[in-house]
Amino acid sequence: MKVAVVGKGGSGKTTTSAVLARTFARSGLATLALDCDTNPNLGLSLGYGEEATEKLVGVRQALDTGEEGHAGSMIELIDRFGVDGPDGVRLAIVSAIENPEPGCPCCGVSPERLLADMDSVEGVVVADFEAGLGTIIRMGDDPVDVVVIVAEPTAKSLEVARRAADLVKERGLGRVIVAANRVRDADDLARVRSVLPDLEVSSIPDEPAITRAERNGVAPLDSAPDAAGVRALVELGERVLSSPISA
Amino acid sequence: MRVAFVGKGGAGKSSIAGTFARLLARRGERVLAIDSDPMPGLAFSLGVDRSDAGIPDVAIEECVIDGRNTFRLRSGLSAEEAVLRYADVGPDGVLLLQLGKARGVRGENAGSHQAFQHVVEGVPDHGWSIVGDLPAGTRQPFFGWGRFARTVVVVVEPTPASLLSGRRLARLAGMPSAPRLVAVASKTRGLGDAELVRDGTGLPVIGTVPFDTSVSDGDREGAALLDQTPKAPAVAAIDELVSTLINEEEQP
Ligand SMILES: Nc1ncnc2c1ncn2[C@@H]1O[C@H](COP(=O)(O)OP(=O)(O)OP(=O)(O)O)[C@@H](O)[C@H]1O
Ligand SMILES: Nc1ncnc2c1ncn2[C@@H]1O[C@H](COP(=O)(O)OP(=O)(O)OP(=O)(O)O)[C@@H](O)[C@H]1O
Ligand SMILES: [Mg+2]
Ligand SMILES: [Mg+2]
Repeated sequence: MKVAVVGKGGSGKTTTSAVLARTFARSGLATLALDCDTNPNLGLSLGYGEEATEKLVGVRQALDTGEEGHAGSMIELIDRFGVDGPDGVRLAIVSAIENPEPGCPCCGVSPERLLADMDSVEGVVVADFEAGLGTIIRMGDDPVDVVVIVAEPTAKSLEVARRAADLVKERGLGRVIVAANRVRDADDLARVRSVLPDLEVSSIPDEPAITRAERNGVAPLDSAPDAAGVRALVELGERVLSSPISA
Repeated sequence: MRVAFVGKGGAGKSSIAGTFARLLARRGERVLAIDSDPMPGLAFSLGVDRSDAGIPDVAIEECVIDGRNTFRLRSGLSAEEAVLRYADVGPDGVLLLQLGKARGVRGENAGSHQAFQHVVEGVPDHGWSIVGDLPAGTRQPFFGWGRFARTVVVVVEPTPASLLSGRRLARLAGMPSAPRLVAVASKTRGLGDAELVRDGTGLPVIGTVPFDTSVSDGDREGAALLDQTPKAPAVAAIDELVSTLINEEEQP
């Protein structure tokens, strides 16, 4: 199963992806977390720690530096360059843009191609996308199973979420589940529902324990597993695995 | 003044850039705000009625530069004329030029994106102040979208993920004709946060914008901070940032 996580910058895509991936792994599924951001930091939210996260190398960079002599399939590459972390989640970074560089930003290894090529993959792939719609636009018509749209109850965030939802529907890119993130009250949830009617919505409260974990560079699932916000993300994971119920 | 705001997703770039542009305009500058994010953001923070339009096709022509097919502004149309024609007029007289917002077609807007960069780099220095808001992360900054700026401000929250992004963006200093790179500490909650940003990015911290629920409350309503809560602490902090940058740009 392939799960893509999309949304506005800072909406909580990486926080959400990390809890989803570890929830899947805990339920016994082989889980690959794909960091598809060119400014990758999923390792932090998964609980790899700062130093290890900063040292991770993208698959594209590994290819560039010629480390990969006889490159096999993408799946083999991920096997070679991925690293195992908490709960046995395997993490791979697709393509970091870590230095100012001239040239074309869109060639070489790309998340959308990688995902499209991964048909034979067993278990679950959780793909944490770059902010905005660039990657889902470039996905063309190649679907995933579930698209989690992370949306805060703000005008900017909902504007991006609405466009994402339209695009996924138009292209048939997958089942949409909206993660209404940082919800403070019923008004917040109503804001999300009114912009995104007829979609499955999971409400994730604004959670001080998540903010604290983020500041301390630890995984919320490790530092505050019982906090309401973390539990809501775990339930979102269970929902992703279950069959759709009507909204 | 020519300044560009960069940083991790959600760091507060658009909130700061929009408020900054208007406060600068209130001091009598002619301000062009530039939004190169293919997703809407800056228009909300400025309080400009949102539209998806970028530079229209009629203003663009194909051409060959260094053997590569590309696009530029139609000949006879200067960057300044393009701004006056295609920018929206916002509150406090700020002009907003935006990259056409993505509508979901692969490869669309290629011409408009090229032309956008030509305009941004072609606006004359004299008589204009430019305030740019770049999208999240390293992609656009590392591919030269902030070249118009003399000062690049990295907006950094006091969190490891935001600091890591800030460290990466600090590498812009290694570019030929590198801009001056500085940091602003965003959503700070305590006195040590500015130091955390300085030590974590290696950049001088020229300002601090405190965590302030007025900012996110305004965003919930879709209203600009400056219209919704003009007396908010975040507004005062951004006004101080305007003073600091004016003083710094006046020094040689
Ligand atoms: N439910 C929540 N409650 C409180 N804070 C949250 C919640 N979800 C996310 N956050 C905080 O919001 C910030 C942004 O989260 P995150 O980095 O996951 O977003 P993102 O969408 O991946 O950002 P980017 O666009 O940079 O990839 C972090 O500081 C995180 O701790
Ligand atoms: N000083 C602040 N205090 C509290 N919340 C803030 C502050 N600055 C920004 N925010 C909130 O953080 C969120 C992200 O802000 P904003 O959209 O300005 O960030 P951005 O860096 O432009 O994001 P993107 O990467 O998507 O372009 C918004 O919900 C906003 O209300
Ligand atoms: Mg992220
Ligand atoms: Mg923005």
